[in-house]
Amino acid sequence: MNLRRVAAVASKEWREVTRDRMFLLLAFVMPAIWMFVFGYGLVLDVEHISFVVVDRDHSALSRDYLYRFYQSRYFDFQEALEGEGDADVWLQSGRARAVIIVPEKFQERLLSGQPAEVQTLIDGTFPLRADITKSYVIAINNAFNHELLVDFLARTRGLSRSEAQRRTSPLGIEVRYLYNEEVRSTWSTVPALIMFSLMVGSPLLTALGVVREKETGSIYNIYSATVTRLEFLVGKLIPYVMISAVNVAVLWLMAVLLFAVPFKGSLWLFIASSVLFVLTSTGIGLVVSLLVSTQQAALIITVVVSTVPTILFSGLIVPVSSLSRASQFQAHLFPGMYYTNITRGTFLQNVGLAVLWTDILALAIYAVVLGTIGYHLFTKRPRT
Amino acid sequence: MKPADRLVVWCRRLTVMTRKELVQLLRDIPLMAFLIYSFTLSVYVTGNGIQTQLRNAGLLVYDADRSLSSRELVSRFHLPYFRFDGELIHADEGFRRLDRGRSMMVLDIPARFHEALVSGEPTAVQLLVDTTNAPQGLSAAGYAARIVGQFGQESILARNGLTASSSAPVPMIVSDHRVWFNQDQNETWFESISHLLRMITIFAVLLPAAALVREKERGTVEQLLVSPLTPVQIMLPKVVAMTLMILGATAVALFGVMQPIFGVPIRGSLALLFSLTALFIVATAGIGVFASTVTKNQAQVGMMTLLVVAPILLLSGIFTPMETMPAWVQYLMALSPLRYFIEIATGILLKGVGFDMLWSQALAMGVVGASLFGFGLWRFRRQFQ
Repeated sequence: MNLRRVAAVASKEWREVTRDRMFLLLAFVMPAIWMFVFGYGLVLDVEHISFVVVDRDHSALSRDYLYRFYQSRYFDFQEALEGEGDADVWLQSGRARAVIIVPEKFQERLLSGQPAEVQTLIDGTFPLRADITKSYVIAINNAFNHELLVDFLARTRGLSRSEAQRRTSPLGIEVRYLYNEEVRSTWSTVPALIMFSLMVGSPLLTALGVVREKETGSIYNIYSATVTRLEFLVGKLIPYVMISAVNVAVLWLMAVLLFAVPFKGSLWLFIASSVLFVLTSTGIGLVVSLLVSTQQAALIITVVVSTVPTILFSGLIVPVSSLSRASQFQAHLFPGMYYTNITRGTFLQNVGLAVLWTDILALAIYAVVLGTIGYHLFTKRPRT
Repeated sequence: MKPADRLVVWCRRLTVMTRKELVQLLRDIPLMAFLIYSFTLSVYVTGNGIQTQLRNAGLLVYDADRSLSSRELVSRFHLPYFRFDGELIHADEGFRRLDRGRSMMVLDIPARFHEALVSGEPTAVQLLVDTTNAPQGLSAAGYAARIVGQFGQESILARNGLTASSSAPVPMIVSDHRVWFNQDQNETWFESISHLLRMITIFAVLLPAAALVREKERGTVEQLLVSPLTPVQIMLPKVVAMTLMILGATAVALFGVMQPIFGVPIRGSLALLFSLTALFIVATAGIGVFASTVTKNQAQVGMMTLLVVAPILLLSGIFTPMETMPAWVQYLMALSPLRYFIEIATGILLKGVGFDMLWSQALAMGVVGASLFGFGLWRFRRQFQ
């Protein structure tokens, strides 16, 4: 490999990039904008679930019970309905996600020591939301049940309230959150967003690299020049790897300074694995660019290949462990997941090479495989 | 020329140009192969694979009591939510195991746990949760709290000589949940629908954007402009051709994968679904048309559209519920046609509702789409004057 020829290709590519002011601007601004928007916007606490109630009992106790829903920040009260018939319309139109129906004789039954059945209708179109809604309802019911039981024991057994309370002391649970002690969702999303911004943005930088020259015909200059395949590909990649490396630094600074995410691990480990990751993400774009013959195809394929697995299978929101077997397999085929482990590990957990070596190795293998594929796909003697 | 003749000529030109665009698209073999992959295999894998509810959270147990009660409590943490990863010999082993990242939580049961439960002394179990993934950690802690709470409640009842059975009734609220529209909480339904919408969005923005910029980059747009075609007749056929293409792919996804394999119900009107899908595609294409007028080459338009598409995909309520978004995101996303279309698509497919329930969403989507499209058209015209 002749380094001077590599430098020549790289400087030609660099000039092409810097001449296109808008492209250059977007290449640097895009990851930062994403970090900003998603860092503040991708919050994952489900709140304000809109609901309507049907109170058939109209008693003091039913009002007391429903009041707990009105007060909760997880629920947004919409309207009190007369009958169940209207409930359909509210759920179907999507204006309410839940309907709470308090039966007749709710107070009478509970005060006489009988159980009462409260029905909750939940909009199941989005299973995650349905699941969370259900667990909020159960939590409110459990708290209410505990108070009912205290009252009941005090009344029926002739105990004082404090004695009844003591007898019903609930089994406690002390939860300690590790690594992200205050459970801020920004702390866990922001390190993963470094992965997201690079994984979605970087392939596009190189996606048009070769196919553009094919479409405009300038590739024939390369075919007839003395530059070898390897020199050409390395030279093509260098400017974009540099841009992405600068972006890693900017994103890291944003995470630490703007979002105040603690960086507990080794900076060198982070830098080394980031360089590997940038190589693989830009390499994906280059390989796509070699495979297709139009820029339109290169654009769309790169966007789909980089965006979809990154959103779904890289541990950004949905943890890899809760995927199905087939999807876990697919997750392991994309580099995003490994780099998510590394960013979360170095930011929040202070784990070192001893734990992360498999992820780093996977990225290294990825880079080598992409390089080999690229090398074999690119030929200076095209058949047509 | 009579107005009627003019209309005929106008339509004929549109048809000819649309055919040209379709031929051009069909000729791009890698692109077509990828279109088919995106609407079939990709929908299948995603629909099958994504589970947003808690699954398989690795649980380690340190049981200092080794009693009937402690074993009973541990046995309540079971699949599909929790995966038992083994018992620890020493309490401090938990941190090291969590560091390695294979397990997610450690349940620590204190000595004399059983005695305390029977005698009614206050006692508590300890839970260590890995919250590097905060929502997942919180969700696991929530499930655990529910299990422990239920267990505690039962032991209170037992201690006070009460049981939940009818022989000795206890005043308590029995929760009866009915999940509507998807009784079994089948996640493949929602995930495959949301993936389909994700794919429609990507293709609807990028295809026309790239096609329009290509003409500009190569200079072929100058040739079209000196022909009798108006700018509208140049732009509209591209959008029409791509809308037809994407509608076809949507039909393949719906009738080839989602309905036969996942059993996604089609409870509402198919005609309504496809006409509103067409409206959605055109509305979303407006973003691409606009992007194509502010950029000069394909590299720029790719970056520009991706800058906008990524937030649309993540924040429109197809990935996480709209209820999770901060207020400013909800306002911002009022501009995203996808935000309305998710309600429309799930409404027609799962809820089986008609236009009378969906008109407000359709209207909002139409208004956003018409503004985006109108703005794009205005810019497109202007740049050639």
